[in-house]
Formats: sequence, structure tokens, C-alpha cells
Amino acid sequence: MILLTQSAPQFFSDNLAILAPLIIIQLILVITALISLAKVQFTNGPKWLWALIIIFFNILGPIAYFIFGKDD
Amino acid sequence: MQWMTIFNAQSLESWRNFKWIWVPLVFILLGLMDPLTTYYLPQILDSVGGLPEGATIDIPTPPPTDVIMMSIGQFNMIGVAVIVLISMGAISGERKSGKAELILVKPVNHMAYITAKWASFSLLNLTAVYAGLLSSWYYVSILFENIPFTNIIMSGAFYSLWILFITAVNFFMNTLVKIPGLVAFLTIAVIIVMQIFSQIFQHIIEWLPNLIPNYMIEIIETGNVPSELWGASSVTVLLMVVLLIGASYSLKTKEMS
Repeated sequence: MILLTQSAPQFFSDNLAILAPLIIIQLILVITALISLAKVQFTNGPKWLWALIIIFFNILGPIAYFIFGKDD
Repeated sequence: MQWMTIFNAQSLESWRNFKWIWVPLVFILLGLMDPLTTYYLPQILDSVGGLPEGATIDIPTPPPTDVIMMSIGQFNMIGVAVIVLISMGAISGERKSGKAELILVKPVNHMAYITAKWASFSLLNLTAVYAGLLSSWYYVSILFENIPFTNIIMSGAFYSLWILFITAVNFFMNTLVKIPGLVAFLTIAVIIVMQIFSQIFQHIIEWLPNLIPNYMIEIIETGNVPSELWGASSVTVLLMVVLLIGASYSLKTKEMS
């Protein structure tokens, strides 16, 4: 077990091997959502708002964009 | 063959919509979330604080099968919602915009149109579910105890039937109504009603499709397939065929009117 007294950056660097996939997958998700947003012509609601949602709500933001964002 | 043409067209569209990237990624995230939070629970509790000084928390490490079943619970909640939402407009949206009529004025078999689209979405969903299951298995094996790989693959095969069934229900609803939101609502309503039904008649009915996830724990633990699971699987396959035939019939009658 890891000691509970560590600081957050210390904890993070100690567990990097375990946490890295989580962060990489989130990054890919955000980037694909942003590429899709840049390519698409019409969105439900303003585009800049979707960009903010994708960037600031992790995991849920990109999912919400992919499901509800596009206006066919 | 026209079946392959429709299948390829739908797969290409899913690819262009980035569905082939983000749906598997979401399932992978769902799969690794529960092993991670369970493993780091003491640290999380500690950093949240609020505990009196000197309080010791003793959380027993859960057995690895329980952690995998937590992940499957996530797939059953958020995963199923994602699956229902991505295919809610598969046919209803095309009927609304008139694209379906454009395809179906040609001598295209209704059954081929529905099964090709269903197969395309099912392939995507199953890829995602397997990716999620494997990521969960990988993390449980690293952080907890090793679980035999064949057990996971086998339980995944049965879980796939449940996912195929949900997709079939969704496609049946797609031909019934034209509004995508209503399709999603009806599909989830069917799943919830089935859940309630199986809870009330728990001791009588053992073969409902939604019971498949509950039987999976035995496969993951021991590698043996419980006899009820074979029954539930056959009922699921049967219902799936009925739903797909019903969908093509309902699409045919809708078009005449």
C-alpha cells in the first residue's frame, strides 16, 4: 500500500504506469471530439460552447457532444 | 450483394462519425474506472478528509470477480445508454429525412436493409464491449488477482447476446416510430420493464435475456456455464429473430400507408 502522507504530485508520479492509460484515453477522446467539431458544418447550439464543454467536462463532455452535438 | 452494400455503407458512416473511435474508448474507460477506484479507495477517502484524527479505516480487498462484476454493472447502465443513444436514429432518422424511402424504392429487401444495419451497429457495439471487458480484466489482474483469460472471453460471448438483443429491440422501435428520442425512450422502457418483471417473478422465470449478466459471475469464477444461462441464451436468440422479422414487417407496412 502507498503511504497516505504523500503529496498529490508525488502520488501521481509513483502511480504513473497505472494512471497513464486513463489519461491517454481521455486525451484521445477530447482530441477526436475537437477534430469532429472543427469538421462539422452545423451543430446543435453554438460551436464555441461545445468546444468549452468538450474541453472542461472530462469524459462526459466529448460523449455529450458526439451524441447530441451534431445537427444533421 | 446488396446486403454487403448496406452493411459497408453503414459502417463507413459510423467511421466518418468517429463512432468507431469514441464508443470503444468510452467502454474502455468504463471498464478501467471501477478497478481503479476500488484499488485507490483508501487514498481517495483520505484525500477527501472529514475523518476524525487517528481514525483507521479497514476496507477489505474485494474478490476480483466482484470488481469485474462492478465494471459489467457500469456497462449495463452507462454502456447500454450509450448503445441505445448512438443507434436511436439508425432507421428512424433516415425515415424522417426521407433517405430510407430513397433506398427502399429500389428493389431492396426490407429484411436485408434492417439486418445489414443491425449487423453493422452490433459489430461496433460488440467491439466496444469486448474492449471494455478486456481493459477491466487487465486492470483487475494487475491490481487484484489474476482471473483466467478464457473465463472472461467465455462470459463475454454470453454478454454479447444481451448486447445484440438490446440492439435488436432498438431497431424494432426504430421501425415503429419516427422520432429518434422516442426510440431511445421506448428501448430503455422495455429494458426497465423487463428488469422489474424478472425481479417480481424471480423464482419462476429464469430465462429472461436481462438475467444473462447475473449468470456471468459463475462463469468468471469457475469457468462453468450454469444451466439457466443456456436457457436464457436460447430465449434471447429466439426473441432477437422475432424482433428482427417484426421490424422488417413493420417497416413494410409503414411504407405502404
